[in-house]
Amino acid sequence: METRRALFAYLAYLLIGIVTSALLVALSQPIQRLFAPISGGVHSPRFWLAIAISVIAWGALFGLLHRLPSRAKKRLIVIVTFVSGLFWVLEFFLPAHSAVLFFWRPAHGNPFTPLKQPVGYALQVIAGFTFFLASLNLMRLHAGHLARLRAGWYNSLAFFVAFFAMAAFGLWAYYDGKNPVAIRWNTWLFTDMYVPLTGTMFSVTAFYMATAAFRAFRIRTAEAGVMMLAAVVVMVGQVPLGMWFTSSLPLQGPASNLRIEVIANWLLGVVNSAALRGVLFGLLVGGLAMSLRMWLNLERGAFFDQET
Amino acid sequence: MEHANWFALLLVVGCSATIVTTILRARSGKELFIRRIPGLSAMDEAVGRATEMGRPMLFVTGLGGVDVISLQALAVAQYVGRMAAKYGSRLIVPVVDPMVMTIAREVTRDAWRAEGREDAYRPDDVRFLSGEQFPYAAGVIGLMNREKVASTFFFGYFYGEALLLSESGFEVGAVQVAATPATTQIPFFLMSCDYTVIGDEYYAATAYLTREPNLLGSLVGQDLAKAAIVGLIVLGTVLAMIQGKEHLLMKWLGG
Repeated sequence: METRRALFAYLAYLLIGIVTSALLVALSQPIQRLFAPISGGVHSPRFWLAIAISVIAWGALFGLLHRLPSRAKKRLIVIVTFVSGLFWVLEFFLPAHSAVLFFWRPAHGNPFTPLKQPVGYALQVIAGFTFFLASLNLMRLHAGHLARLRAGWYNSLAFFVAFFAMAAFGLWAYYDGKNPVAIRWNTWLFTDMYVPLTGTMFSVTAFYMATAAFRAFRIRTAEAGVMMLAAVVVMVGQVPLGMWFTSSLPLQGPASNLRIEVIANWLLGVVNSAALRGVLFGLLVGGLAMSLRMWLNLERGAFFDQET
Repeated sequence: MEHANWFALLLVVGCSATIVTTILRARSGKELFIRRIPGLSAMDEAVGRATEMGRPMLFVTGLGGVDVISLQALAVAQYVGRMAAKYGSRLIVPVVDPMVMTIAREVTRDAWRAEGREDAYRPDDVRFLSGEQFPYAAGVIGLMNREKVASTFFFGYFYGEALLLSESGFEVGAVQVAATPATTQIPFFLMSCDYTVIGDEYYAATAYLTREPNLLGSLVGQDLAKAAIVGLIVLGTVLAMIQGKEHLLMKWLGG
């Protein structure tokens, strides 16, 4: 009974998906025009008008979605997920050109392919909204620390100073690229402060690698012993001094296989690659199963009214 | 590949049909065996430790955006969140991607709601730290040290920051469970974490933890699909030995 109900639900969503896909194809040209960049950029009044209309329209949409009851919201997410997935499935699995399937198209091309770019733009718009929410989250958190003067409040103050300074000088330098003050401050903040700090964080990896290797290479089990031996061979086989140990062996013939760099390359290129490819196969099939569960909303069991 | 050839279509449809069939079989009540995965079994232990010590847990979702890897990580975060809500522990989820942050917040809120503890939910524990790799890593390391976390979970896609995070977790004495599909980072996690979930075990996590028939069926389906792919590899190897590089299967594959 449950399975039959689920099948009916899938059929209904498939129908919605097909209708939506047909609408997307029919409205392909207006959609592409809607998401096309506005000529003139920030100097055009149309640019600011488009931003104002978008903010009002999205605000109204979000407000409407917020008012929906929880169950309706979930159902909407299921439908949007299914329809969005169906778009990519149809775009990828239908051929690029077909005189039979796309007989009405000028060059018999896949009608979904030209929509890939506007869909990408739409995703960027949504990402932009979430970036705003994320920044707000960060500010609220640090404002709370500052207001209550919690331990380490000065770090929150540093956050606000850094955030607004970087944003102000970054935007100033972007929109007034010839102003020497803007360029100097932006370079000082980004190239002279941010980049070296990032590099410093990455360089710490070298020290952590040494401490982690020290623990990992303690031979406590037979497996750890094998790993240690393989690691030593690979490491020694990569450096000139290590290669010198077996340099008396010939470069050709069966005895060349005993040269340390040959053994190291064999371990890396055959044993290691085989294991990694095995892992990758498993990951890809696992990813496919996960995507399928997400697409068909089986992950949360909503079609069967069971929450995990 | 811009568009699928017929073989890719056949392979994906075949694998998908197998997975859906096994899900339906699992739903009909068929008992399915799933082997023990120590890394995933250790998650309960990690939650228990945090509860006993009265210290928070940290769940890191990696550097991925909204993709299947991050969504799987969030599904596991929901499980850990439910456990945390049940035992009155705290779960901190620092995120690198703003879109992941909004989903993470919904997922964790759902977890607390499912346990009837929505009043104890702390929305600020899902934190956006930075959109950049190393500032994010610095932020997570700072959180580990300030909050003295008892357990850390690394689920998601990681890059060069993997070792920084896991070694910092080791330094604060946290029980660490890591799972990533990033094959280049698995050795670092193996070195520094107490338990590491590797390969497709990553996608088995939710099935293993919840034992939900849909997910168990999917797991069995993906094993069958893998067996079919192994069969194709063996067939390709045999054909390559008999017919050379331009063998029949290669022609079908469009290579």
